[in-house]
Amino acid sequence: MPAAYPLPTNVSPATVANTASLLRIIALALISGAAIASRLFAVINFESIIHEFDPWFNFRATKVLASEGFYAFYNWFDASAWYPLGRVVGGTVYPGLMATSSVFYNILHALNLPVDIRNICVLLAPGFSALTAWATYMFTKEMKDASAGLLAAAFIGIVPGYISRSVAGSYDNEAIAIFLLMFTFFCWIKALKLGSALFGTVAAVFYFYMVAAWGGYVFITNMIPLHALVLILMGRFTSRLYVAYSSWYAIGTLASMQVPFVGFQPVRTSEHMVALGVFGLLQIVAFAQLIRSYLSSKQFQNLLFYSVVTTGILGTFVFVGLTYKGWIAPWTGRFYSLWDTGYAKKYIPIIASVSEHQPTAWPSFFMDLQLLIFLFPAGVILCFRELRDEHVFVIIYAVMASYFAGVMVRLMLTLTPCVCVASAVAFSSLLDTYIDPAEPDVPRNPQNGGNTTLEDVVAAATANTTKPGARSAPKGIFGLDTRMIIIFNAFGMLAFFVFHCTWVTSNAYSSPSVVLASSNPDGSQHIIDDYREAYYWLRQNTPETAVVMSWWDYGYQIAGMADRPTLVDNNTWNNTHIATVGKAMASPEEIAYPILRKHDVDYVLIIFGGLIGYSGDDINKFLWMVRIAQGVWPDEIQEPNYFTPQGEYRIDERASNAMKNSLMYKMTYHRFAELFGGSGQAVDRVRNQQVPKVGPTLDYLDEAFTSENWIVRIYQVKKEDDLGRDLKSANAFSQGKKRKRSKPVSKRRAIV
Amino acid sequence: MLSLCTLLSLIFCLFSLLEAKSSTGNSVLVVLDPAAQSQFSIFFDGLKDSGYELTFRGPKDDAPLLIEDDIASFAHAIVFASDTKNFAKDITPQNLVRLLSLNTNLLIALSPKQTMLSSLAAEFSLILPPPGTPLISYFPERDERANVIPISVPAGSPLLTPNTPPVWFSGVPFVLGNNPLIVPILNAPEESFAADSDSSTDTLADAAEKGGEGLWAGSQLGVVSGFQALSGARVTWVGGVDLFSDEFANKEISKGVKSGNKQFARDVAAWTFQESLVLRLEDADHHIVNSTISKEQYTINDHILYRAAISRFNPKDDVWEPYSDIKDMQLEFTMLDPHIRIALPPVAGQPGVYSTEFRAPDRHGVFKFVINYKRKGWSHLHHSITVAVVPPRHDGYPRFLSAAWPYYAGAISTSVGFFLFSAMWLAGDVRQLKKSKSHKTE
Repeated sequence: MPAAYPLPTNVSPATVANTASLLRIIALALISGAAIASRLFAVINFESIIHEFDPWFNFRATKVLASEGFYAFYNWFDASAWYPLGRVVGGTVYPGLMATSSVFYNILHALNLPVDIRNICVLLAPGFSALTAWATYMFTKEMKDASAGLLAAAFIGIVPGYISRSVAGSYDNEAIAIFLLMFTFFCWIKALKLGSALFGTVAAVFYFYMVAAWGGYVFITNMIPLHALVLILMGRFTSRLYVAYSSWYAIGTLASMQVPFVGFQPVRTSEHMVALGVFGLLQIVAFAQLIRSYLSSKQFQNLLFYSVVTTGILGTFVFVGLTYKGWIAPWTGRFYSLWDTGYAKKYIPIIASVSEHQPTAWPSFFMDLQLLIFLFPAGVILCFRELRDEHVFVIIYAVMASYFAGVMVRLMLTLTPCVCVASAVAFSSLLDTYIDPAEPDVPRNPQNGGNTTLEDVVAAATANTTKPGARSAPKGIFGLDTRMIIIFNAFGMLAFFVFHCTWVTSNAYSSPSVVLASSNPDGSQHIIDDYREAYYWLRQNTPETAVVMSWWDYGYQIAGMADRPTLVDNNTWNNTHIATVGKAMASPEEIAYPILRKHDVDYVLIIFGGLIGYSGDDINKFLWMVRIAQGVWPDEIQEPNYFTPQGEYRIDERASNAMKNSLMYKMTYHRFAELFGGSGQAVDRVRNQQVPKVGPTLDYLDEAFTSENWIVRIYQVKKEDDLGRDLKSANAFSQGKKRKRSKPVSKRRAIV
Repeated sequence: MLSLCTLLSLIFCLFSLLEAKSSTGNSVLVVLDPAAQSQFSIFFDGLKDSGYELTFRGPKDDAPLLIEDDIASFAHAIVFASDTKNFAKDITPQNLVRLLSLNTNLLIALSPKQTMLSSLAAEFSLILPPPGTPLISYFPERDERANVIPISVPAGSPLLTPNTPPVWFSGVPFVLGNNPLIVPILNAPEESFAADSDSSTDTLADAAEKGGEGLWAGSQLGVVSGFQALSGARVTWVGGVDLFSDEFANKEISKGVKSGNKQFARDVAAWTFQESLVLRLEDADHHIVNSTISKEQYTINDHILYRAAISRFNPKDDVWEPYSDIKDMQLEFTMLDPHIRIALPPVAGQPGVYSTEFRAPDRHGVFKFVINYKRKGWSHLHHSITVAVVPPRHDGYPRFLSAAWPYYAGAISTSVGFFLFSAMWLAGDVRQLKKSKSHKTE
């Protein structure tokens, strides 16, 4: 056997194995380090702070859990959220994340390490990303081998698609969920391979943890049954499958029903029916196997045919009947929007208004996955080559996750692990092929005297294709140079991947979005801290019971940072309540005021980016408020009224009347023109339109606070007038305007 | 709701001057032309006798100020300078309205002339006739001019002394607007109307042609009316300042019967200066029935007891006395809308205490106990306490349900069955076991 390069021969196999495992451990440790380190950009560039919106609620809940204990958290009724409806937090939250960090908190405190709860929350996601890398290693090891596993671990450790949800401070459910997802899948594969009830149970336990941590557990709930179903259809039913699935399903489902938020959903909603159905099917198939062993094949075939037909029909009828009767909840709107991307926009604007529910743009696949997106199909094809049971799993996973990632931006997250696994399989196959020193045996050609030239190779190849019957030429890689070219290329790609990941992570995914950064003319960083400025103003200057109304995006932040009751927040469970806020924002003052008073609103908070060009402000979100309000009050709020007759969305002189009179517009541009000296030069830098010279006036609200860069503006709602007048005329009076003389209304009818 | 200011001034009164009569203080500013002071000596002496300290200020004098450093200088103000066109700089409609929010009571007299005060009246939903048209009536037949009218005092008005003889009135009437805060005190007689006294017949004829359109006439017109501002302050608008004059007070209404002006003026001042019909909510609490501790949050379907203590100001002894005579007070348990609205009756045997029991709704949320008692003439009682109503705790549900017997039976039978099966399997026939083994190997 010729070799391209010599291998040491005097090493014992035991030494090789030991060294390899040591190297693997070191590599895994380094990968974990890299995974954690690359997520710390946010902390280094900004500070140790909780990011974005949902994490603020998780952080607040964690504080409650850590300080008041589990039962207090379980029974926590948050009277300050969704005022005045309140929120039963214990029953409407996935407590896994909070429980995890409070366990860490308690352990550290038991060890007399007084770590701040905030730092635990901030660093939880990076910590779990290291575990994810390990779980992916284990999973990929089952697919191919340890070296593919290491590659997969390295990929998942730094791939932006996963980093986007797990940077330090991004304290969201996904932070721990991806680890749980991968580890559950690993346990499932292991259980399936070994037919082990133990691994099935471990899978169920981790499935339970996943259910407790993230709503995306439904992905597992459908992936595993789908895998099992496909295996049955492929005729690969084995007792191993039976044992693995039954133990996972029975224990996992019972365990998942212990989470209050899930409750009886596993037996009552359509999303969980696949799992239940496959469980039933497995029992039938197993029973059929048992019967087959006692019956002749002819009898059995007849029996099988009839029983399959009857059970199929019966099952469908039962399912339809139960759904019709309302015992099984029909699919939810979020589910429909997975199949029809236009569905949400038409029927549930509240779902469509969330940016992470939008369909994915093509460039973001490259942004999030870079070279992996090209390796991914190759990996899937390699899976087809062997097509063991676990490869079927990866293939199904790849198909499902690719579809979902195309439909919704946030589901890119579930695709990423699969992409890493498949790419690692492909990449390690490539490396295996080219690093392997073995060269094919070439029968010495007497004419050429052993000099293999390119012509020979070509000739051999063509001969091989043109004459299939002929003696096949040896296939393989010859020489060191060919190997070097490919390997050099491959490592170059990996190096670029690392650069890309680092660049994307540091530039795109490490902004806390609570604190904004811009750069000064000299290139130094300038921090825009308007949000916290405003929230702390609320915290310091308003009574603790002051109710703050804002669009729901900021509900969690107000509750978390300002500690004030809010009308609506990011847990968008009550569409009507959100629509009420939308209506108040979209209506003229006179109509909005009774709504504000009825809900005891003391302050209204809006976001305005027109001064510094911050595009994520409320005027840009305004149409969603209008749409959501229109969904509930189609007679009072109509979206077309907010556009100019030409169909443009304008805020300047040509803005429509409904727009100009809306509370949101008035609050946004109140005194904005004055800032520019009323010279008519007031330009909204987000919309690039000139604001009218004479700004809107407010009669029912008072400006209470405007932050440094005008990003956050807070208005105080006035009390009713002492004299029972409407506030508009009360204002006119206090400004000294003359009131029109009124005549008494004649109560008498004219005598004819 | 009672402001702290009221309470402080009350304490102040208790300590300093025990003869004070008002519940909110005894300093009164009178804005009046010094020359006209002597015309109202009976009224002012009556006030002084009751313990008020009167400070006089000419309408154009610069001092004393109405409001100094955002604090009202006086507890009450009387504006009798009804004919004055130009007031001092700080006496503006805006400042007078501001006084109300600072809890200062106002007694304001109007005149047929167009002045600052008549435009201010419009803010109180009082609609005045055109300038120069006083109230005129030719009934009953009398020696006086047509614009000096005897008006009989309505019986049954809570704020007037019963059986007060008719009062003399001269001035403008006004139409009462659609404002629930207005408290009508004295209305014009049915036969009266507002007209330019010289051409009154023409006005009548014109109006008759139009079917009464545009005519200020009839008993719906007010001549004296109160106004209870939401801040708690009271304002009284009087159509003509002569009502308070010595002349009218001494004038006989008929042979041998003195007019009721003196008594009426005193009653109106007493109401305006918060002596009469002043209520106060002393204290309100709530707790679970059969318990005494007030809770921050209740569980749904809890039985809650709500209790409020109400007192009324007694001007004679200058004390707040428990008051149990409100029969129509209601309590609301509100979240956006009242989920529960029930009567809040007085408790027999406990003076001033009102109490009721109810079951909390089967709905969690942030609720408010609301008392909103607003009756014409009486000071408003508005009070709310916020509590949360929460679902039961995880261990607050019943542990054993008889309706769940099928499930209990199912669980027990499965357990028993499993136990029996295991026992039989383990203790079963060895041969059978071998048989099954041989099956497997087939």
